[in-house]
Amino acid sequence: MIFFSVASLLLAWMIGLLITWIFFPAGKEKAAGILLRLAAAGGLGIGVTSCGYFVCLLAGLARFTPLFDLALCLALGLVWWRRRRRSGARGPDAAAGRTPAGSFLEKLIAALSAGGLAAYAVSFAAAFLKEPHGRWDAWLIWNMHARFLYRGGERWRDAFASGLDWSHWDYPLLLPLSAARGWTYAGGESVLFPALLGFVFTLLVLGLLLGALWLLRGRTQGCLAAMVLMGTPFFLTMGAAQFADIPFAFFMLGTFVMLFLSERSPDHRAGALILAGVAAALGAWTKNEGLLFALVVTVSLAGMAAHAGGWSASFKQTGRFLAGALPVLLIVVYFKARLSPANDIMEGVSLAAVSANLVDWGRYTEIARAFFFTGISFTQGVVDVREGMRFNPGAVSVLLLVAYLLISGVRIDRQERECFLQAGAILVLMLTGYFFVYVVTPLDLHWHLMTSLNRLFLQLWPSAVFLAFMAAGIPGQRAPAQGAPAAASPQAKGSPARGKAARKRKDSK
Amino acid sequence: MMVLTGYAVLNLLARAVGGYADLPRQDPVSIHEARIEQLRGFLPPAGEVGYVTTVENEKIFAAERAFRNVEYLAQYVLTQYTLAPLIVRNSPAHPLVVGNFLDGPPPPGFLERHRLVPLKDFGEGLILYGREPGR
Repeated sequence: MIFFSVASLLLAWMIGLLITWIFFPAGKEKAAGILLRLAAAGGLGIGVTSCGYFVCLLAGLARFTPLFDLALCLALGLVWWRRRRRSGARGPDAAAGRTPAGSFLEKLIAALSAGGLAAYAVSFAAAFLKEPHGRWDAWLIWNMHARFLYRGGERWRDAFASGLDWSHWDYPLLLPLSAARGWTYAGGESVLFPALLGFVFTLLVLGLLLGALWLLRGRTQGCLAAMVLMGTPFFLTMGAAQFADIPFAFFMLGTFVMLFLSERSPDHRAGALILAGVAAALGAWTKNEGLLFALVVTVSLAGMAAHAGGWSASFKQTGRFLAGALPVLLIVVYFKARLSPANDIMEGVSLAAVSANLVDWGRYTEIARAFFFTGISFTQGVVDVREGMRFNPGAVSVLLLVAYLLISGVRIDRQERECFLQAGAILVLMLTGYFFVYVVTPLDLHWHLMTSLNRLFLQLWPSAVFLAFMAAGIPGQRAPAQGAPAAASPQAKGSPARGKAARKRKDSK
Repeated sequence: MMVLTGYAVLNLLARAVGGYADLPRQDPVSIHEARIEQLRGFLPPAGEVGYVTTVENEKIFAAERAFRNVEYLAQYVLTQYTLAPLIVRNSPAHPLVVGNFLDGPPPPGFLERHRLVPLKDFGEGLILYGREPGR
């Protein structure tokens, strides 16, 4: 049975690969580029096929989902093949750099990272054996929704009007639909498949982080960043817990990576921005926080582009981003408008209550205190509600990143300054948004903070690690990184001639 | 950096391997699910049933919100998780009511007050009730 469920993932992966090939064509990619593409394609494919499954459910054709997916795969394959023929036999040369041999230390770091990955996989398997159904929210929300969608048959819509508010039926459906889609392929339920999804998304986040940093900053930076994530106990816990926070973290990271790729690869700027839009919208299809994320990315992209190149450039770049986001956002809007019940936070909000909370300075103090303690400690694991917030930084925490940046120094190239500003603005705006949700929440503030804040920080963690390693200075950096696209390699970035040429190409577009 | 992250990864592995020997043969969710599955043949495939437990229904969520007891809520949620797509209402006011008394009997007089009569006792605190029509 699990064989067919795995086949659903493989087909999703193929669809994701075709999407990335269409919008970001491949040349002679080497390890870093291949890893990045495989990781990005995996998540995008799962997300896009969940949208397809939703359309099939709406049309009453859920049992024909495999045929629908196959047709989508063939259609995308045809588009890719035609584009490839039109642009010549090969895509743009993505292998301009030679493959550096690597020092002993670099090889050691790579070997240790591989060992770390094996250890991580064993830890994950042990966590699955302990809790095969996942943790609390998995069976209270995500897998519960998957069961209703799958078992409900023709009456799958009934669950949304069931009044079981405690199960949060307003939460977006990417994860439940992906599980139900796998069961549809298999013709029956298996507790293994949602766990497999959790494992796949955890690996995809690691692969995306490693691949992107390897491509953009070199293999050592990628390996170190992956080790930081693998050494984060809460990242492992949440991956095995089968919550939607790790898939959402994937789409956030995917958006950041695509924004940086668009900056580094002027030839493929449009495609990378479209893929960033798809990733951000799939974030909104994964968790409600994703709606805030999609809005924040759109606003910051428009603002930064306007600041750098005027309103015309801003319209063009934001338009590309929205072109990628729109198809998925339409599905999210349909879900919110036609199926989803009111959100428990929004439903309990009244103007008078919001006004009262906004001027209650005690709430600000409590939230700021929680942000500080959780910000330092969240990597260690689930908060013990009986003990409350306490200082618990552990081996891997925000402090480790700060120390690393202090030791390695910060090196941000002029070409990338806007991208960093934009990414920083997105992170700050997300944190500000979260802060004010807590200020106005009608739920008990202490309970709300204790049960959610550490997960909100974890969603941002892979992106924060990515940005920290992108900003870190690299002692004795050699260039280019293995498999880096011509315009994306550190060599190209550092070369004034190439930078000028790239800017010229950009201006002429 | 490598030493610290390597230590963290190995620490996770040590905890995972160390905890492996203490793993129960079956996890609590699967055990609860197997218990509740027995009800399926006696319930309609769709529609609604009620639910009662050791405490009065309104205290199930209140105890969790106050961080006093999450077990009552977990047992209710897992009952719904197992019986989906049948809706399990947190209320005794239904013709068929699932009684889940893992943590002890209901409050004295609670079943009588709601005119619940046992239809089948599955053992281990799992009882299916029917509701007598009101007089």
